[in-house]
Amino acid sequence: MADVKITGLHKRYSGGVHAVRGVDLAIPDGQFTVLVGPSGCGKSTLLRTIAGLEEADEGTIEIGGEVVNDYRPRDRDVAMVFQDYALYPHMVVAKNIGFGLRARKLPPEQIKARVAEAAEMLGITGLLDRYPRQLSGGQRQRVAIGRAIVRDPKLFLFDEPLSNLDAQLRDEMRTEIKRLHQEIGTTMIYVTHDQIEAMTLADRIVLMRDGVIEQQGAPLELFERPATRFVAGFLGSPQMNFVESRIERADGRLALVFDEGRSLPLDPARASAFEPWAGRPVTLGVRPEHISRPADGTARKPSDQPIDVLIDLVQPTGTRTYAEFKLNGTEVTVELPSHTVEKPGTTIELVVDMSRVILIDPETRDVIPG
Amino acid sequence: MGDAAFADNPTPVSRRRLPSAARSDRRFKWLLVTPAILVILAISIYPLVFSIWVLFVNYDFQIPGHAYVGLKNFRQVIFDPVARYSLLVTVCLTATNVLIEFLLGLAIALAMTKTFRGRGIIISIIIVPLFISPVIVGQAWALLLQRPFGPTNYLLGQLLGQEVTISWLTQWPWNFVALVLADVWQWTPFMFVILLAGLTAIPPHVYEAAELDGVGTWQTFWHITMPYLAPMIALAVTFRLLDSIRLFDTIFIMTGGGPGTQTYTVSYYLYTIGFTQFHLSRATAGAWIFLILTLIVVVFLVRRLLKQEES
Amino acid sequence: MTATVSAGPAPRRRRRGRRLPIGRILLLGIYLMFILAPLYWVLITSIKPSDDYLAVPPVWFPDAPTIVHYTAALFAYRGLQGLINSLIISISATALSCLIGTLMAYSLARFRTGGMHLSFWVLSQRFLPPIAIILPLFLNYRLVGLQDTHVGMILAYTMFTLPVTVWMMYAYFRQMPRSLEDAALVDGCTRWQALWTVAIPLAVPGIVAAAIFTFIACWTEFFFALVLTSRDAFTLPTVFRAFLSFQGAQYGEASALAIVSLGPSIILGVLVQKHLVRGLTLGAIRG
Repeated sequence: MADVKITGLHKRYSGGVHAVRGVDLAIPDGQFTVLVGPSGCGKSTLLRTIAGLEEADEGTIEIGGEVVNDYRPRDRDVAMVFQDYALYPHMVVAKNIGFGLRARKLPPEQIKARVAEAAEMLGITGLLDRYPRQLSGGQRQRVAIGRAIVRDPKLFLFDEPLSNLDAQLRDEMRTEIKRLHQEIGTTMIYVTHDQIEAMTLADRIVLMRDGVIEQQGAPLELFERPATRFVAGFLGSPQMNFVESRIERADGRLALVFDEGRSLPLDPARASAFEPWAGRPVTLGVRPEHISRPADGTARKPSDQPIDVLIDLVQPTGTRTYAEFKLNGTEVTVELPSHTVEKPGTTIELVVDMSRVILIDPETRDVIPG
Repeated sequence: MGDAAFADNPTPVSRRRLPSAARSDRRFKWLLVTPAILVILAISIYPLVFSIWVLFVNYDFQIPGHAYVGLKNFRQVIFDPVARYSLLVTVCLTATNVLIEFLLGLAIALAMTKTFRGRGIIISIIIVPLFISPVIVGQAWALLLQRPFGPTNYLLGQLLGQEVTISWLTQWPWNFVALVLADVWQWTPFMFVILLAGLTAIPPHVYEAAELDGVGTWQTFWHITMPYLAPMIALAVTFRLLDSIRLFDTIFIMTGGGPGTQTYTVSYYLYTIGFTQFHLSRATAGAWIFLILTLIVVVFLVRRLLKQEES
Repeated sequence: MTATVSAGPAPRRRRRGRRLPIGRILLLGIYLMFILAPLYWVLITSIKPSDDYLAVPPVWFPDAPTIVHYTAALFAYRGLQGLINSLIISISATALSCLIGTLMAYSLARFRTGGMHLSFWVLSQRFLPPIAIILPLFLNYRLVGLQDTHVGMILAYTMFTLPVTVWMMYAYFRQMPRSLEDAALVDGCTRWQALWTVAIPLAVPGIVAAAIFTFIACWTEFFFALVLTSRDAFTLPTVFRAFLSFQGAQYGEASALAIVSLGPSIILGVLVQKHLVRGLTLGAIRG
């Protein structure tokens, strides 16, 4: 059990790639932290540097209050699960799981007992005598996790452990990893590029971009209050819609005005925060689920703003239907209940929940607070 | 699983703080290459450096002492007509051998690209010469060709309906034909193997697309097969060129350089100067000239291959 | 690039039948005869009684095969001694070359030790003309007493085969996933342990292939052996010198010795046929 503290970390590769550019991160003991970001953002490099597989060029890494920069991977007491499972093909499952214990010269009986215990926990007791090539992808991933938990390390590191599995297995293993964390409570750092994995697993998400941390916080905090356009666009599926617009004052109220002439009045409850932006261009950010059909009969919330749109594309998924329309020249996706629209070419009335939209400064790409 | 490999590891985790884990990695990676570098230094580089001294003295088993002689050794080689002739023979033999091996190897590889019954066995037979000592190859062809023992002249006589009395190993130009035969026999499989690998790696849909477009066989060969094959051809020809210029073994066994010095190659010439006449300094001078000529080719060709590899 | 020289089906498929056109059959037939003719003649000569040598027409198959040439080649011409020397030298040099070559290859593949320069330097050794090295090596071996010794030959052959083992194993390690060794390091191994317990066991198929190519190269090598050995450490190929001086009389013995020598290397060679492309091109093309 240990906390992790990273200060001013830099990692450069010999080819001139500056993969990690000044990362500061404090992970409390027992937390499940997910490093997420597009490929090449430095998240895997950061993880490998924590493991000791890469050398930090600048900055310090502390695990459990100890600076480990000069420790070899084996002396850091961390366990790691790899994307390709990294099972030793020349050893049976039991040997694979017990490898770390043997490397540490534990007595054989103790190794056997702990391997059995770990196998029990993961439901792979029947596979102990098999070779990795005789296992399915899900079973291999379980063995890889078993190899990590058997050592009872201070810290678990996961490097995109589910990306080689098919969709169904991925959901299953995700649940299991989450349950595992709840059972053993060890600090875990998990790297993924999949925002759904990040949202579902994390106590805290650390979203990286170009070698720096873009934003960190609880999953819903990042989802609901993104600090930048990048974070807003990265989390959520389908992606948030971004439409260029301006804030104008009309009849004493602030509204988003689009070049094509349409306008959407801002939520009166939030309008005061945007006063300084009157007359300036902003980017509207709205999630597909925050545009909906007006509810029948019931009173409309003051923040709901109606808008008539011409649907030009309909994608039913069964449970929901995604439809697209053009707003100010940009395709906007909305998520609607099935059968709301059947065919492109229909004009319908939708309402935008202005209490949930975000406004972004088009120059800095930061979200305007308010 | 050798547990002995874990021997130096105390229980359970050593918390020994190293001066730097990275520094120990650096030591580790250089430690691994050290034995190999030592062998190369001792067996290849050190003798070469030592021989620089030999170049400028008189190192000759027939003349005692090692007097400084300046550039005399070089002069003796450069102005030896046999030396220049042997270089010419080497270049001509290399060019002939590699050209024939390439064309024949390509033809056989093209004929073997498609599957058919028995293809596996035929490949196994074709590659056999690659595993035979060149000395034995020379010996085998000598047996086959030599008068009066070999059956070649008899068979040719039957074919042409008149008596054939060629002295294959001592009579110009047949001695060269014999040397080329032996080399082509041994090394055509080299070209074949690499070119076949290249041919079978061409994705079949490329040919299917060409067939749909109505491209003719000959055009398909020039515009699809050859461009795909080009890197393989470059590699195979480079390797063969660099090996072929060392030609020695078959000469030694088949013609002994003869008649006279007619079939001397550079390697054979330097061998006789150094090891039958024991003019070691002169042979070393010649070897250095040959080495530098080769290195120019190596640097040029091999660097290009490496670049191809990288990209 | 992936390709195959093994018997597997070629990927090129067409609708037309699998029967080869007559021209191809003719080409392949003639070429196969060309390949087999010397081998057949050597085999026949090795069991042919000496009286049949000069018969016209030639004796294509002897009525009374004999093994006298084999016993003569092995004992009278010291072929057996050459065979034993060849075995000792080839096996030792193969082991040494594979050991230090694999270590170097691992370092080059995983750490890019010395950058491109070191790898190129090793590779260039493969293309140096032996005549350039042999003269100074000969002088030095005489000075330090390695001339005509097994140790001297083993060292020379180790050097001579190193580029092949290093480059074959380099290519092998490059395509082996790195994560296995990373896992071992995190699991508690030192670099050295990760190498011996994970990387090397996994590289065994590659090492075996490299070892066989190295062995064949040593087994068939002639030039170094010719210069560096005489009475004690002479290898099998150099025994053929004995038959040069006696024109004609020793056809059978030469053939018998040839058969003894080419047997093992052909068998080994056909066994590693799958790796042939990699072996011939120093791993530049994957077979």
